[in-house]
Formats: sequence, C-alpha cells, structure tokens
Amino acid sequence: MNGSNGVVSAIEPIGASEVEPKGIAEEPKPSGRKRQGSVLDAIRRGEPTKATVHPEVLTEDAVIEIEAFSLWYGSSRALFDVSMPISRGKVTALIGPSGCGKSTLLRSVNRLNDLIDGVRVDGRMLLNGAPLYAPHVDVIDLRKRLGMVFQKPNPFPMSIFENVVYPLRIDGVRKKSVLRDACERALRGAALWEEVKDRLAAPALGLSGGQQQRLCIARAIVSDPEVLLLDEPCSALDPIATQRVEELIAEISERYSVLIVTHNMQQAARVSRYTAFMYLGHLVEYGPTEAIFGNPKLRETEQYVTGRFG
Amino acid sequence: MTGIVNDIPVPGVHQRRSTPPSAFGEPSVWLMGSALLLCLGMVAVIIVLIAGHGFSTLWPRPVDRVTLRSGEVFLGMPMGSETFTPNEEEQARINALLKAGDLTQADTAGPRTRYRFRLGNRDLGRDSFRWVPAYEIASRERPDDAVVVERDQWGVFIGVPDAVVLRQEIEEPANTPFVESFEVQTPNGSHPATQRVLSETGETRVIAREVHVAQGPAETSEKIDELMGAARDRRDEIDRLLRNRIPAVQDRLAELNWAERRVERAAGDHDPAGPVWLWAITTLACLGSLAGAVGVWRALPESRSRSVALLAIAVLACGTGLHAVLERPFLRGTLTEQQAQVRLDKIAFDSSVAEDERETLLSRIKDLEQRDDTVRVEIVDPGLDRFAPVAQTKPEEPMRLSQARRVIHANTLGPLGRVRLYLARWGDFLSRPPGESPGEGGVFPVIVGTVVLTMLLTVSVVPLGVIAAIYLREYASQGVVTSVIRIAINNLAGVPSIVYGMFGLGFFCYTMGGYIDGGPGAAALPRTPWWLLIAGLGGLVVLAGLLGAGASTPGVLSGGRSLSARLVRSATWGLWMGAVGLAIYLAWRTPYFHGFFAEKLPEQPTFGARGILWAAFTLALLTLPVVIVATEEAIAAVPGSMREGSLGCGASRWQTIRRIVLPASMPGVLTGAILAMARGAGEVAPLMLVGAVNLAPASPVTATPPFLHGDRTFMHLGFHIYNLGFQSPDAEAARPLVWTTTLLLVAIVLVLNLAAMVIRARLTGRRGGGGL
Ligand SMILES: Nc1ncnc2c1ncn2[C@@H]1O[C@H](COP(=O)(O)OP(=O)(O)OP(=O)(O)O)[C@@H](O)[C@H]1O
Ligand SMILES: [Mg+2]
Repeated sequence: MNGSNGVVSAIEPIGASEVEPKGIAEEPKPSGRKRQGSVLDAIRRGEPTKATVHPEVLTEDAVIEIEAFSLWYGSSRALFDVSMPISRGKVTALIGPSGCGKSTLLRSVNRLNDLIDGVRVDGRMLLNGAPLYAPHVDVIDLRKRLGMVFQKPNPFPMSIFENVVYPLRIDGVRKKSVLRDACERALRGAALWEEVKDRLAAPALGLSGGQQQRLCIARAIVSDPEVLLLDEPCSALDPIATQRVEELIAEISERYSVLIVTHNMQQAARVSRYTAFMYLGHLVEYGPTEAIFGNPKLRETEQYVTGRFG
Repeated sequence: MTGIVNDIPVPGVHQRRSTPPSAFGEPSVWLMGSALLLCLGMVAVIIVLIAGHGFSTLWPRPVDRVTLRSGEVFLGMPMGSETFTPNEEEQARINALLKAGDLTQADTAGPRTRYRFRLGNRDLGRDSFRWVPAYEIASRERPDDAVVVERDQWGVFIGVPDAVVLRQEIEEPANTPFVESFEVQTPNGSHPATQRVLSETGETRVIAREVHVAQGPAETSEKIDELMGAARDRRDEIDRLLRNRIPAVQDRLAELNWAERRVERAAGDHDPAGPVWLWAITTLACLGSLAGAVGVWRALPESRSRSVALLAIAVLACGTGLHAVLERPFLRGTLTEQQAQVRLDKIAFDSSVAEDERETLLSRIKDLEQRDDTVRVEIVDPGLDRFAPVAQTKPEEPMRLSQARRVIHANTLGPLGRVRLYLARWGDFLSRPPGESPGEGGVFPVIVGTVVLTMLLTVSVVPLGVIAAIYLREYASQGVVTSVIRIAINNLAGVPSIVYGMFGLGFFCYTMGGYIDGGPGAAALPRTPWWLLIAGLGGLVVLAGLLGAGASTPGVLSGGRSLSARLVRSATWGLWMGAVGLAIYLAWRTPYFHGFFAEKLPEQPTFGARGILWAAFTLALLTLPVVIVATEEAIAAVPGSMREGSLGCGASRWQTIRRIVLPASMPGVLTGAILAMARGAGEVAPLMLVGAVNLAPASPVTATPPFLHGDRTFMHLGFHIYNLGFQSPDAEAARPLVWTTTLLLVAIVLVLNLAAMVIRARLTGRRGGGGL
C-alpha cells in the first residue's frame, strides 16, 4: 500500500456492509448527454476515479463477487480497487486495451497469481459467498471448481487423450471406461472430437494451434467446473473454429458461468450478456452488453468499443 | 554493391549507410572453421591411435628364426623396425664387419635399420623384447615347425616342439633291477622310455619314468593336438575348483568362525535391557505419530502448514520408532549359557561339514593334478637348447601340456586360421580373469567391476541430484541464498577428484563404515541423558512444526511480509536446524547400537574399509554437480505455461512436478546421468583411495544372494590401465595390452552413453515433445 496512497484513501473503505458491494459509483444522473471530462486522463494521472456500473448488473445473482480488489506485482500495482459482481449462469466479457489487467484479474480468480514471487493482494473476492483469499482456503479444490483456458494454448507433452483426462487423473480416477467417456464428452463439447477421435494416442503437441486451444478448452470442461475462465480463447483460432467456440460458449453458459477476456469487440457483443471495460488496472464501465456497445454512459467506452480510442 | 546503391540518388528522406567491412564475416568463419577442424583432428588422432593399437595387439604374428653373425640363434616375433644413427661402439663394429667382408661398402654411411623382436621365454632368462641391428643378422627365416605357446604363467614361449612325454614318479624297492632306457609297447607301437633315480633311501627309491610317445616336431605337434583338449579340460576343472568352490567353502568356514565369536560375545554381553514401560511408551508414541500423520494428511488441504506438520510428525515417528527398535526389551538381551552352547554346537557341526567338503575338494584337486602331471611336452628354445620347464625351479622337468593355453603354428597359419585365432584371443581376453601378474589372462572381472561401479554410481547420484534440483528450481524461493548455493554446487564440480578420494576414504570408509561395523564405540553417552535428549528432540521438532504452521500464511496475503512473520519464520528455521543437528548427534552417540559386524573387528572390518559401495558414493559426490546442473537446466526449460496449465486444472504442486515437469525434463535428467556416468567411469584417482585394487580376491557381484557385495574391493579398467602400463614388473611386455584395455574402457563408456541416449531418444519420441 505504498506509493499509491492517494488512490486508496480516495476510495470509500469497504466492509461497512458485507452484502452490498461498495466502491462502486452511484449511477450517474440521467442527464441525456454523456458525461464529459476525461475519466481515462484522470486514471492516467493517477487521480481517484470511480467505475460506472449500470444498475442491471447489481440485480443479478452473483457467482463471484469482486470487492475493492487490488493486486501488486512487487511494487508495481496492476489492479486498482476493482469491484464487480460476476453473474451466475451468464457470460461476462472483459475488454480493454492490452496490459490493462484483464488477465491479471482473471488469474486472480483462481489464485494462479499466488505462484508469482512478490505478488500481494488487497480487497476481497467471494465465490458463492465464500472468500477466496481467506487464510485456510483449499486452493487446489478451488481451482478444480474453476476451469481455466489460457491466452496461449498450453497442451501438455503427452497424448491427446491424457491431456483431456488430466484433471481426472490427478483426482485418482483410473477406470478406463469413465476416462474414455469423459474424454469424448469434453472433446465433443470443445468441437474437437471429429478431428481427433482416430488419433487420441497421438502426441498433443502435433496438433495445430487452433486444435490445441480447443484441446485446452476440453481439458477445462472435462471436470465439470462451476465457472469457466477464458483468457482470449479465440486469439489463435480461424473464423470457423472461432464460431464453434462461440457456439460452445453459448451452449455451456446455460450450465456454467463464464468470464471471458477478448480483444474482439464483435465477439464480446455476440457471446456475452455483460461487458466490463477496463483501463490501466481500473474498472471503467460495467453493464449489459447491449448498453456498453449501444449506449454506453461514458464517451471513453463508446470510443473504445467503436475503435476510435486514443 | 553498396557503392552502386549509394550512387543512385535517393529521393526524399530515405538515407543509406554503406556496410562496414567488419560486417562481412568470412575471415572469422575461416578462423572458426579451422579451429573446429583442429579439434576434430585431435579427436580423430586419439581414436585412430587407440583403435589401431588396441585392435592390433591380439593379431597373430609370425615367428622368425634369426641367426646373428656371432652365431647366436633365437626365435622371435618381428614387431617393427626403426632407423638409427650408430654410436661409436656400433660404428666400430660396423667397420670390423666391413673389414671382414661381411658388409658391403655401400652400407657404411647414413642411418641404419634395426629390428624389434618379441622373444618370450622369460622363464629361460630371455628378455621380452630385443632390438637387433640389421647388420648383425646373418640369416633370417620363417621355420614351419616353430610354435608360439600361450601360457597362463610366464608369458609366451616360442620354440620348436620336440617330444611328448608321459612322466611318472614311481616308488619301488631299492633292490628292483634298474635300467636307464627301454622300449614300451602300446597299441600305437613301441615308444622309447627312460628312467632316472630321483632319490634313494636304504630300502626304497623314487624314480622318474618318462615314455616318449612322440618325437620330432611333426609327430609331436600331432600328438599335442590329440591330447590338448583333455589337458585343457582338466586344467579348467582344477581352476574352477580352486577359484570358485574352494573360496566358497573357505568363506563359509570364516563366516562360521565369526558367528562363533558373535555368540561368545553375546553370551558375555551384560548390557541391561531398558524397562518395558519405556519401550511401550515409545512404541505407542511412534504408532500414534504415524496415525497422526495419516490424519493430518487426510484432514488438512495441501498447504505449507500441512507439509510442515507432516514433517514434524514424521521426524517424531522416526525418532520414537528408532528408539523402539533399538530398545526392544524382550527381543534383545543376553544369551544364557545354555542357549549359547546350543548355538555353538550347531556352528561346530556346520564347520565340520564344511571342513569335510573342503577335504573332498582338495583330494579331488590332488587327483586331477596327479593325472595332469603325467602329460608333458618338450618345447625347445633352439638358441638355448633348453625346453620350457614345468617351473623355473625345476629346469630338468618339461612343462605340462595343460600349462599351454594354446599351441600356435604361427608360420603355417592360413588367413582364416589367423582370424579365428584373433577372435579366440579376444574372447579369452574378455571372458577370463587376470593372471597373477599384470598382462596375463583377461579382464573380465575388471569389466564387471567397472560396470557395477558405474551403475551403482548412477543409481545413487541421479535420485539425489534430481531431488536437489527440483527443490532448488521448484520450491526454493529464488534469492541470494539460492544463488549462493547454486554457485557453490557449480564450484564443487571443479574440486580435484583426489580431494573427493580423500574425503571418501576419511568419511565413507572410516567414519560411516566404521559406524556400521562397530557402532559409535565405547564413548557412548549414559542412558538417561540420551533418552532425555530424544525427548528434547521431539519437543523441539513439534515446537518448530507448530511455529512453522502458524508462520506459513500464504505469501500473497499482505500479513505474510510483516517483520514478526519473518522473525517467526527464521526462528522456525533455526529450531529445525537445531533439531536435525541434535538428531544426527544422537544417532552418532547412541549407546544402543554396537554395529552390525562388531565381531570381525578389529582384524577384518567389513564396511569400515575400502569397498565398491563407498567408491560409488565418492564418485556420486563427485558427479553430483553435473546431475544437478543438467536437471536444473531441464526443469527451467519447461515453460511456465505448462505449470500454470496443470495448476489451473487443480493439480497440486507435487502433482505438477510429478506429472508435467519431471517427465518433460526427463531428457535433461538423462543427459545429466550420461555425463555423470562418463565422468565417473573414467575417474581413477579417487578410486585408488577408496577401493580399486590390482587383483580383487572376489567379485562384487555374485550369482547367489545377496548378489551385490558393497563391502568388497573391485577392479576397474582405469586403474587396471595404470597398473598394466606402469606398475607391472614386466611393463614393456604388458604395454600393448594397455592399448587394448584403453580401447575397452572407451568402448564401455561409449556403450553406456549410447544406452542412455537411446532411452532419451525413446522418451522424447514417445512424448512427441521434441525439444523440451
Ligand atoms: N508476472 C508479472 N510480473 C510483473 N508484472 C506483470 C506480470 N504479469 C503482468 N504484469 C503487468 O501487469 C499489467 C497487466 O497485465 P495483464 O497480463 O493482466 O494485461 P492484459 O490486460 O491481459 O493484456 P493483454 O490484453 O495484452 O493480454 C501489465 O502492465 C503487465 O506488465
Ligand atoms: Mg492477457
């Protein structure tokens, strides 16, 4: 909490009420015209700012609640008091320019940042109401409940089959039939089954980049997680595969809650119900996707989603 | 080119700079190329030299009969020639020869040729080699009847087969009529026989009767071929009895002897057993802590606190378990007189059985020897006109046929015969034990020793190095301490190997081995304080565990960085170190342990002396840095995204290491193993201190349990090379074998490396990982 005192102190202290997330700005007055003044400039200058959150998101049932969450990589701060609920059974998209902390936020949800030396966090994160960063949380179990797909495909150097059933293997599942069924289900779910069903024993590193990414998706959904964290899952895919993955997301969002990072505005608009716009570690605007892309409250958001960002 | 570009007017803002001459790398490419060529050339020279010498040593050579101008005659195998400039004395000799008309004027000036001959016949006083100037040679021919006799002792004998003699020593009454020579009738015809009186007392005399069943080179050779097989079989049988059966019985007798001593000591041992309640408590504590460990394992989620708690409990379990085992009041204790007597009787009975067996074996050997002693051959050195004797002390008796391993008609051998002989010699070299003096016999046990040592070394160094590397890379936080440790490890690789030898001798052989043999010795602590110390140790460990569990809040929470947390952590660390130190001290000074082989002390230490196990450990220490560095590099090369992927799936850290990191870095681990093996197999200096010997009495591996004898000394190719070339009394004769042995050593290292490389290629291929 060094070096950024101004920002921290400017935000209301949290914890006054456990139920309603604080640190979220009041809804701006419906004045007809968009708020002027540059929020992004203020962020760049390090001045205290407040996120603009549409009221619709607050009425949803939240599977994950992020409350005034901050994160430091050593002495450099990557997240600034981010507060947002993630809706259950819906797709939530995170957009924002490169380096704004989308991946960091995503990785914080399943505590992958713990592994990096010198990382420090502040604030709270709740999964189904249970704090994620409490001292005695079972991180392993937590990660089993959150499926993660990374920005770059990272299949393990083993066979396709072993890759898919890896989460089951580490849980000690040995029965061949169970593993085979789970593998087929997951591969079908990731729209990869038809392509690899004849060479399940082949090394996964022999697949194309797009196939590898879908393999990672299959790996993430094989153990039936509650929340799916997707970090730009389509950045390595061709349009057809992208479409398949998008269909897949639409399909599984009935069962899972999905948090997806994307640079593709059309994709965010197509697949997600809610969209959050981030900038330099701050949450700028968060609301229903139609509102963010059709009628955002901030001019900066409008400029970003229409590509006139600067 | 650049000039042309510059000459073209460039429109607008584009600017061009000319390429500097230094950008053209051709001269440096040439330089690098020639450096590489130099290196390759040197490697090629080494390989060609070793292979050329190594392969040619065993090739059969012809025998020349050389007559010198002085009238001297000898048989020898030509081994090459060189030119030399005669000194004054030699020049005088040349001049004399000129004057006598033996040499022509044309040869007077310039360098002259001299030939090198291998002579053999060392038991008749000849040198192994002889240089002869060309001008001294009156005539030189290749007689068909010359043979080269390969023997187990005294090296080769070159001569002409003259007779096969059946010799018998007979004791007869002194008054029997005695004839010097007579004819003996056999189904194959009549043979001349001679008799000689060896000794005579009043009533009896001992005579030697020799029947010449073959005479002259042709007949003798034929007869030798006929009798050779049976003679070798007899000799092999005797060897087998002497080398395997007799030592086995002797070992058993020695073991029984030690057992007797053990019983006697136990009978006189009045060390009181500990009280039963104390033993019960420790046993309960041990079982309880084991149960606790299981409980913690199942109850707590994977975290640092769980590991710490587990470790604490494990140490407690080990401590109490150790005590329970050592104490065991009703199992230990002294023998009563009666029990001791029963055991002693049993031992005495076993001894008499073994003794009988030895007698039977010895009489069988004697019988065989007697039969073997009958068949003699006279192979005559024409220069000295003496035959090869049965022993240097008995020049009047011709050698036994069975003393010849092979009789080779070197000058009538066809090409196919030569190849067959060459291969047979290689077979002998590879499959037979060395003879009494270096250069004789084969190297089979030497190869076995080298391979076993290398395997032991690999088996002990790889797990240790891999564990250390995993800890350094995956668990230890990368800071100053880790860097220092890493630097220290790297520097360890540069310590001269003889230093490791000293350490191995002092620490492994004498200290560790001495401890295993005889326990901590008389200077043990009194009982009660020792027990108190154990209790203190347990308390310390539990305290440290609790502290550690409290201190180990995950680092991401801001509380983990506070000063008090750091202090607690250091305190925990200190306590742990103290506990470990105390545990070692306790084990060292325990009054309960009297060693496993105390009865053999001080005459015959078992592990408290040089041996193959300690040698392997010493080499393991020596090669540890290689394995650690290679493994660390391989682990570091595993991309972080793999680890994150695995952890993201909900795998624990250990599962990630086990299933992702280790398999992916397996090729690197194997590279480390290969390097360690190559380095260890070629190391000689430390081995001379910790266990390699000229002639090991017994093999470190046996076909019967316990198969591997870590306490035995062994032979090693590297050390054998040194021995052959520089330690043997007849180093010059053994020198050609140095090359062959070197070739073998290189081949073994190569084979071991190739095996590891094949495994590595398989691994990489199967995982489809390519270049991880
Ligand atoms: N391991 C790390 N150590 C230090 N700083 C980091 C680390 N990872 C990320 N950062 C920093 O944190 C900030 C946010 O990074 P993050 O990866 O979350 O961005 P992103 O929004 O995912 O960008 P992109 O769209 O390019 O993936 C960046 O400034 C980055 O430099
Ligand atoms: Mg990212």
